[in-house]
Amino acid sequence: MEFELEGTEQYALESYQWMLERILMEMGISTMVERVRLLIRPDQTLFIISMRVKQSGSKRPVYDIADMESQEGGTFVTIKDESYAPRLLASLWRLYGRERVQQLTRLEIFVEGVPKEDLSDMKLDPEEEVRSQLLDAMWRLLPEGLKLRNEYFNDNVMTIVATEHGMTVDFIAEAQKVHANMIKGPEED
Amino acid sequence: MYEVLMFDGGVHKIDELLDLIEDLGGFVLQRTQVQVMITLTIAIPAEDRPLIEKKTAELGGKIVEVPLAGTEIAVIGPTLGRHHMPHPICDIAEHLRRYGAITIVMGLARGRGRKTCQISAAEKAIIEEYDAAIFMLGNFKECVTHEKIDLYKDIQIPVVTVIGPELESLPHCEALVCGVGRKVERMRRSEEIAKLEEIADRVKEVIDKRRKEIEEDPLFVHPSEVKDALEDMGAVQECLRPAPVVLHVDGLRVKIPYKKHLKELEELEVYGRKLKNIATISDCRLGDSTIIRIKTKAEVEGKVR
Repeated sequence: MEFELEGTEQYALESYQWMLERILMEMGISTMVERVRLLIRPDQTLFIISMRVKQSGSKRPVYDIADMESQEGGTFVTIKDESYAPRLLASLWRLYGRERVQQLTRLEIFVEGVPKEDLSDMKLDPEEEVRSQLLDAMWRLLPEGLKLRNEYFNDNVMTIVATEHGMTVDFIAEAQKVHANMIKGPEED
Repeated sequence: MYEVLMFDGGVHKIDELLDLIEDLGGFVLQRTQVQVMITLTIAIPAEDRPLIEKKTAELGGKIVEVPLAGTEIAVIGPTLGRHHMPHPICDIAEHLRRYGAITIVMGLARGRGRKTCQISAAEKAIIEEYDAAIFMLGNFKECVTHEKIDLYKDIQIPVVTVIGPELESLPHCEALVCGVGRKVERMRRSEEIAKLEEIADRVKEVIDKRRKEIEEDPLFVHPSEVKDALEDMGAVQECLRPAPVVLHVDGLRVKIPYKKHLKELEELEVYGRKLKNIATISDCRLGDSTIIRIKTKAEVEGKVR
């Protein structure tokens, strides 16, 4: 994990870097973060944090990880790639409800009343869960008193700008600049 | 002058020690027995300490210094949110307990933020019921030096401020410890434990100073003598709260309702005098408790004449 620190107080920057490292370690997601930028200016009450997540493969369609067979009253799914089993089951539960999704064995699922075609079109996003965990880590890190927050995110970069009294145009512009630079990557800063 | 010590040893022949304490005119402040091991927090006349040490050696126990025994200290954070709790506020509170203090942890209702941080009059009044307060103020120098110091500016008890950045001094506080800011994990590294020790040392200095000030115009009776009398009260004996009587440097907190027991407390006899004549009894701001502040010798004897 690479850190970039910018601000008016060295102690604050170093302690917040240390805290973020410990929070991510405690949550077990240190390896998912590629780069972090912290911009802290206590004199202006400005706190910006931007994180870039490592690419861990793109979305995978369900037909890629499981065999499907149309049966009377539903679809029978046999999972081929075990590492996707919990995520697939969770997605099916979320989409169709627990009553319609029966887990017959560890890798066999029967989905009631859903045609094979609907399931084949589904895509699983491996980063969805990580993103929500990262957001949680950032919220834990942000000083409690800085209640005015703006968030910017795209596929693999998340940026939060926080202040206390009034979010100014300058703060927003600064956060957008940090966000854009994080998307571009270090070599193009 | 009473000295507070802790005996740590076995129960074998413990009655001999208890008798000796009684003979010397001392008190047992707290007794904790776990199977055959016993811990006694005792208050004895300072000049009789060698006798207690001799008896302790005979019984195979040891005497531990508890410089903060007989004090109640508040550790205060900006809020009770997960940004500040449980570390390092609880770590500090727990460490001070090892030196005999009774500690409480408190979070302000609106203590977070830079320009928006506030403390209410009610919160100040609650804090002032304790012997000393420790304020945790965070990692930002700018924020601490410009805004946060106002939180404890008008507090009438000694304040120890704990902050992250290194500073020479801060106004309005009796002591300052730098290098302990926000934490997300328990303080267990050697350098962090050294910081906890430093905080305990500063608190000890502050309490010693307070005790010396009191000695200049000594209290009419030592709080432990009042505690001894209070323990005979039915309401105190029936109280199920932990530590129903807590000693302060200049008085006590009794965890029984003020309104219900005021008459009984006022009529309590201590060395032939009624408690209302030698102490100020007031309602506690927090919970069903009563605060007793013992008057000084000059105050009591001046009135009698």
